[in-house]
Amino acid sequence: MRAPRWLGLLGAFLRLNIAEELQYRANFVASVLGTLFSMATALLTLALFFHHTTTLGGWDYWEIVVLLGVFNALTGVIEAVLRPGIGQLAGEVRSGELDLVLVKPVDAQGFVSFRRLDIWRITDVVLGLALAGYALFRLGHTPSLPQLAAFGVTLAAAAVVVYAIWVVLMSLAFWFVSVENIAVLFDAVYEGARYPVSAYPGALRFVFVYLIPIAWTTTIPASALTGRLRPELALVAALVAGLAFAFARALWRAALKRYAGASG
Amino acid sequence: MIERYAALIRNAWLVDLQYRASIVLWLLWGVTEPAIALGIWWAIAGDGSVAGYARADFARYFFAVMLINQLTIAWDSWYLDRWIREGDLNYRLARPLHPAHEAVAENIAYKARTASVILVVWLLVAAAWPAVRLPFEPGRWAITAVAVLLAAAMRFFISFTTGLLAFWTTRATSIMELHAGVSLFLAGRIAPLALLPPAVAGVAGVLWFRSMLAFPVDLLTGAVHGTDAVLRGLAAQLVWLGVWIAAFRLAWSRGIRRYGAVGG
Amino acid sequence: MPALVTAEQLSKTFQVKVRDPGLRGALRALFRPRYRDVHAVRDVTFRIEPGEIVAFLGPNGAGKTTTLKMLTGLLYPTSGRVEVAGFVPWTGGPPFKRRIALVLGNRQQLVWDLPPEETFLLNRAIYDIPEADYRERLAELVALLELGDVLQKPVRQLSLGERMKCELVASLLHRPPLLFLDEPTLGLDVTAQEAIRRFLIEYRERHGATVLLTSHYMQDVTALASRVLMINRGRLLYDGALEALVARIARTKRIELVLGGGGGDGNQVTAETLAAFGEVKSFRFPNAVLEVRREDAPATSARLLAALPVADLSIEDPPIEEVIRLAFARGVEEDE
Repeated sequence: MRAPRWLGLLGAFLRLNIAEELQYRANFVASVLGTLFSMATALLTLALFFHHTTTLGGWDYWEIVVLLGVFNALTGVIEAVLRPGIGQLAGEVRSGELDLVLVKPVDAQGFVSFRRLDIWRITDVVLGLALAGYALFRLGHTPSLPQLAAFGVTLAAAAVVVYAIWVVLMSLAFWFVSVENIAVLFDAVYEGARYPVSAYPGALRFVFVYLIPIAWTTTIPASALTGRLRPELALVAALVAGLAFAFARALWRAALKRYAGASG
Repeated sequence: MIERYAALIRNAWLVDLQYRASIVLWLLWGVTEPAIALGIWWAIAGDGSVAGYARADFARYFFAVMLINQLTIAWDSWYLDRWIREGDLNYRLARPLHPAHEAVAENIAYKARTASVILVVWLLVAAAWPAVRLPFEPGRWAITAVAVLLAAAMRFFISFTTGLLAFWTTRATSIMELHAGVSLFLAGRIAPLALLPPAVAGVAGVLWFRSMLAFPVDLLTGAVHGTDAVLRGLAAQLVWLGVWIAAFRLAWSRGIRRYGAVGG
Repeated sequence: MPALVTAEQLSKTFQVKVRDPGLRGALRALFRPRYRDVHAVRDVTFRIEPGEIVAFLGPNGAGKTTTLKMLTGLLYPTSGRVEVAGFVPWTGGPPFKRRIALVLGNRQQLVWDLPPEETFLLNRAIYDIPEADYRERLAELVALLELGDVLQKPVRQLSLGERMKCELVASLLHRPPLLFLDEPTLGLDVTAQEAIRRFLIEYRERHGATVLLTSHYMQDVTALASRVLMINRGRLLYDGALEALVARIARTKRIELVLGGGGGDGNQVTAETLAAFGEVKSFRFPNAVLEVRREDAPATSARLLAALPVADLSIEDPPIEEVIRLAFARGVEEDE
């Protein structure tokens, strides 16, 4: 699909969703409060752990807070873009409403992914990045230009990896019709991304790097920002993101094929 | 009444059967949270101990949390919120049966199914991993069962009552999330209460949070010493159960009144 | 005999948030919300005797469903009085609920993932129906609705019509004397609609149930109801027999012609020719429909038969939809 048309579509989605969201005044307040609350909870949890230790997986308290900021920023992306759109997919497969999507003259995966935007959750991204910035300040570390660039690349890669994981999970909805709450599983496992991957024992570490690659989503970008990661390695992250996306897309197409064959 | 419950439970059981994959997901969610917490505390404890908890103690604690949380958790707030918002409460109100009975029956069916899975998993893991084994003490287990029952009942009424808030606000789910966030600490989901700052642990004990989960878990793992402590814990559970039943009745009568005024 | 359903000056007012369209309006509503009163039901008064089939007819948003909810105890009135089967519905409790059945056209009580039979068994337990009665009633309902082996399939695999039929079965197992149906034929195809109408008539005949249904389908009303309550914008416009309504409102008749036959030069007839006799509603050779004043209909028909080669002619009332539309638009006036 050509870019200008996609931009136009995105604009249309944005306009529709903003107008809709502004209707509910409580949504705005609740959204911000909710984010602040969950960030406070996360900081408290971290404080609890650091009540009993000085490092976690070799990371200091404020380093992990940087990671927490990245986690929140990514959560913002998930809540703003992914969950509203892809989250509905399983229900639509079950009810057959997906057919309404498939007859539209746009790429189904793109449509499903971006059709609904919970724009208030962008505040999560802002708050998350702010937290990361504050933590850097407390660390006394100002990221160099290569580090910032690496952060940008790895953060974008992280978003792509998260997106790919979601697409894979949602594609499962075509095989297991009753997995509407598969998003729940994502939430549970993604909790593991709150901490640096080095904090986990070996087996879990393996899972989080190679199987359910959430380590690439928070640990790597945070490492880039704090200087733990050599900036060149950001390209590896981009490669991982590309692979993840390709895999997810392939799975999606297989799922659609099955759906088109199966439904009456 | 027994026949009605038998029919309701049977119905719920059959519906659950249809949602096998869904339930597996919820199960996995119920397991990942304690697993991640265990992972972190495992790393922190190292070869020593934290506030009296060594690695094995953490392992036993969090397995107990897995089992007992599954036995006591109640999702009714979410269902009720949806029933009220989507008009599914109407036909239930037109029947000569209080909707709470249906919710209770669903809890029984769901918990019987999921808790038995966790129990089997625990037994299997215990066969390979001595750290998670519990000494065979039928007396202790019997008392724990009572505490679990009280906790489950109380959490049901908490959940149902917060769900009834949907009569007044569209943000009932936010309030539920708030409660869940607080209980992450105060109910002992993220760490044994002994690891919290004493003041915080005190609040958990004074309020209903300890009665929700931490107390039955401590009972099972042998962290409650002396008949006195056991009795006081059970008494606290009874008191809070009473409080929440009263809250439920108040919320129901007021809520129904409001529903009759403003409709679905 | 006291009426089964009594409504006196029944009113219901809701408060609804006001929002101007567009982004600016949305922002305004965010910070300073305004409310307005919606008078869903205004001073509605009627009585229904046991055994009647009564239809509440009205466009969407007229207040039919709100009235129904007040009759079934789901809403309580803002003012006025309502009594159903000797109970005040709002406070009736289980004894009242055992005497009614509520079927909502757009929401279902059937458990989605299980065969309908499971929901039936559940209702049997909820309403304490003895085993023998349950079997007998289930058999009768299944036969009347021609359900056959649909009962074994999960509800989600049934067609909309089959689901509605099963909905009816589930609601009638406890054989309540009062049936409240809210848009029961909503979204169904013609066959299913007719099946359900036939069923309701048959059921009423057998068991003497009182049926109240809301609908915006004209055919529901003509097929089922002896009595029509027309509601629009919360007010009761008309309460009485349908034929009387038609007679009162419809000042015109329609003459339906089939041209041709006899002289053989039917194709000489043009719209202009016909226009001399009355208003041409439609003309597609050989069919034509003319509208004339009611009192002129016989005479005009005679002239048509004499002047034109007519193969077939009949005098009809205008379509009921139009009658109703007229009624709602003008309010129901006394005829001249």
